[in-house]
Amino acid sequence: MILALVVAATVVAALLVVAGLASTLARRRIGLVHLALAGVLEAVLLVQAALALAGMDGDTPADAPTFLGYLSGVVLIPVAGVLWARSEVTRWAGSVLAVAGASVGVMVWRLLELWEATGA
Amino acid sequence: MPDERTLGAPADPGPGGSGAARVLVALYAVFALAAGSRAGVQLATRFDEAPLAYLLSALAAVVYLVATVALARGPAGRRVALVAITVELVGVLVVGTLSLADAAAFPDETVWSGYGRGYLYVPLVLPVLGLSVLLRRRSDRPAQR
Repeated sequence: MILALVVAATVVAALLVVAGLASTLARRRIGLVHLALAGVLEAVLLVQAALALAGMDGDTPADAPTFLGYLSGVVLIPVAGVLWARSEVTRWAGSVLAVAGASVGVMVWRLLELWEATGA
Repeated sequence: MPDERTLGAPADPGPGGSGAARVLVALYAVFALAAGSRAGVQLATRFDEAPLAYLLSALAAVVYLVATVALARGPAGRRVALVAITVELVGVLVVGTLSLADAAAFPDETVWSGYGRGYLYVPLVLPVLGLSVLLRRRSDRPAQR
């Protein structure tokens, strides 16, 4: 896990939350802005996941099953959010993406915490 | 209009009042995933350390999953959603209280420990939101079954 990538993911996820809420407030469906943000977010998460998988050893992270659970969950959330939001014709499409973005923003920090925790 | 492609086309108005429920489904889906993976890991790797807490984690995950599906089905899933969300509210209050009063029985965190403090108290807010949406939906459309 690389702190810079965690921060980057958080920033992009926050932008996605803002863009999603904005389109709900503006009574619009989602557009290319949302898809681009979700795409960048997914790319950052995939790079992070690949580096984390490559960097795993017996001691890091101490709780490997939980870490892998979160890691696989976090890379699926933007994909699921986009699939749902694209099929949503009401203004709530953006809110769905905002929920996805907020979840990712929280989960990457939980991942970092799990990564840095030392085994008891 | 390029603006529509970039920022999104104007939305259909959609059925009134259904939007909040849709966001609720998204939140419940996230929690079903979070609680489910947590319970799966706990039950698979260290069940004997804290069987009570881990079984409660699994119960929470099932409740979230049932609530997600029932909410997504709309009026057809209304009764199931009401039951699931009521169970959830009782669960988070009872487990939250027990985890603070008898910490020895809960050596490891569950989703509902300390009223969901490990999850920014979302587990405490979610059932209240869920019940308010469901009850409002009934008063909106009293004739519909």
